[in-house]
Amino acid sequence: MKALSITGLTKHYPNFTLENVSFSLEQGRIMGLIGKNGAGKTTTLKSILNMVTPDAGQIEMFGRDFRRHEQQCKQEIGVVFGGIDFYSHKRLSSITAVTKRFYSRWDEQAYQKYLKTFELVPTKRVKELSSGMKVKYMLALALSHNARLLILDEPTSGLDPVSRDDLLSLFRQLVKDGERSILYSTHITSDLEKCADDITYIKDGKLLASADKETFIESFQHLRRPEETMQITLEDIMIRTERRNYDV
Amino acid sequence: MFDLLYKELRLAAHPNLFVFTLLGVLVIVPAYPYGMVFLFGCLGPFITFMYGRETNDIYYTALLPVKKRAIVKSKVALVVLSQLVQLSVSLPFAVLRLGLIPDGNPAGIEANVAYYGFGLMIYTVFNVIFLTHFFKSGYNVGWSFLYAIIPATLGVLIMEIVVHFPQFAWLDSVESAMLLRQLPILLTGLIVYILGIIATYRISAKRFDQVDL
Repeated sequence: MKALSITGLTKHYPNFTLENVSFSLEQGRIMGLIGKNGAGKTTTLKSILNMVTPDAGQIEMFGRDFRRHEQQCKQEIGVVFGGIDFYSHKRLSSITAVTKRFYSRWDEQAYQKYLKTFELVPTKRVKELSSGMKVKYMLALALSHNARLLILDEPTSGLDPVSRDDLLSLFRQLVKDGERSILYSTHITSDLEKCADDITYIKDGKLLASADKETFIESFQHLRRPEETMQITLEDIMIRTERRNYDV
Repeated sequence: MFDLLYKELRLAAHPNLFVFTLLGVLVIVPAYPYGMVFLFGCLGPFITFMYGRETNDIYYTALLPVKKRAIVKSKVALVVLSQLVQLSVSLPFAVLRLGLIPDGNPAGIEANVAYYGFGLMIYTVFNVIFLTHFFKSGYNVGWSFLYAIIPATLGVLIMEIVVHFPQFAWLDSVESAMLLRQLPILLTGLIVYILGIIATYRISAKRFDQVDL
């Protein structure tokens, strides 16, 4: 079953256009959405969530049209925007107390378990958490309402290598039972090597490729130089695709 | 709706909103331009909206399992709640004042029936302009406040000045017969306030639907 299916997503801004983006994510898989800064990753995620009104395109979540069933769909997803803090002066317990009222399938026991597992202290204020802990807190909220699809915008940006590795192995564990799926945007290619089943690449608002990791890497081997004997990596793919020459 | 209002009060509201709302008690001050109470009722939401922008309140709400319009609904509900609570807080003090300080308020209008009617109209002017302008962008609090507070302040000034003219002295009275004569002003205020809120919500929601967060 498809957790998420996007067809023909288009959004025009005065200086940028997200054009005809289509891809889908199967249940139980992790998809990395890559592209350089400003390529349209966040716009894509925000359009999926109706935070940005797309000019065209269809979004289906678990087979349901997102726009028509926005509330039901949102019950089943968890969203983390890396770098955006909510209510930084509030205690985690206050934010949880409010958040849980909105979810019909809130599981308090699970929440307490995630707090312990992630070593989160409910009396702490958001501003007192490190970037990694903030992401973990948002994940704890998402997992406690049994989110089946996690949409994460650059969750590993700004994290140290240890915290990044910690978070990525957590993602792997989360999809292990095949019930949950993760779509996360990143520009850190090593994250994808460690933790992605599928890769969707957006360049200048256009979809360049969307496939499982092996097929994806294979499809870019034409960028390999004659002297190179090994497969080129995701980082090489991105750099060689995006490289520009400045005539200054 | 209750959950959204709970969210507003627990997470989004700045402590100042509660303080300004309680300033309804100012009608017990012996000599004071009571119209200021309504301006505090406008200032409270302004500070809360500024605070909301700092705390990414709209982003948080947009990710909850609610429709985008619910963001508008909960903000409008918070403003209405704070203003109605402010008036309710002031009421017992307005009654108490009659017994405690029967000499009247030399600074401006009495806290009488007309005063509350005018207050609802002043709130309406502020709400319609402030909220509909704010929801054009979802972040432009400062200009929205400026555009709204100027006509609201003019409304307060007119109310405070007009009662000093002899032909409008009945508006400044707390005698039973005069209070009865002021009743249409209160009813008009109530109708204007209700219609204003409905229009504010509809226009704001329509505008906010087009906003890209």
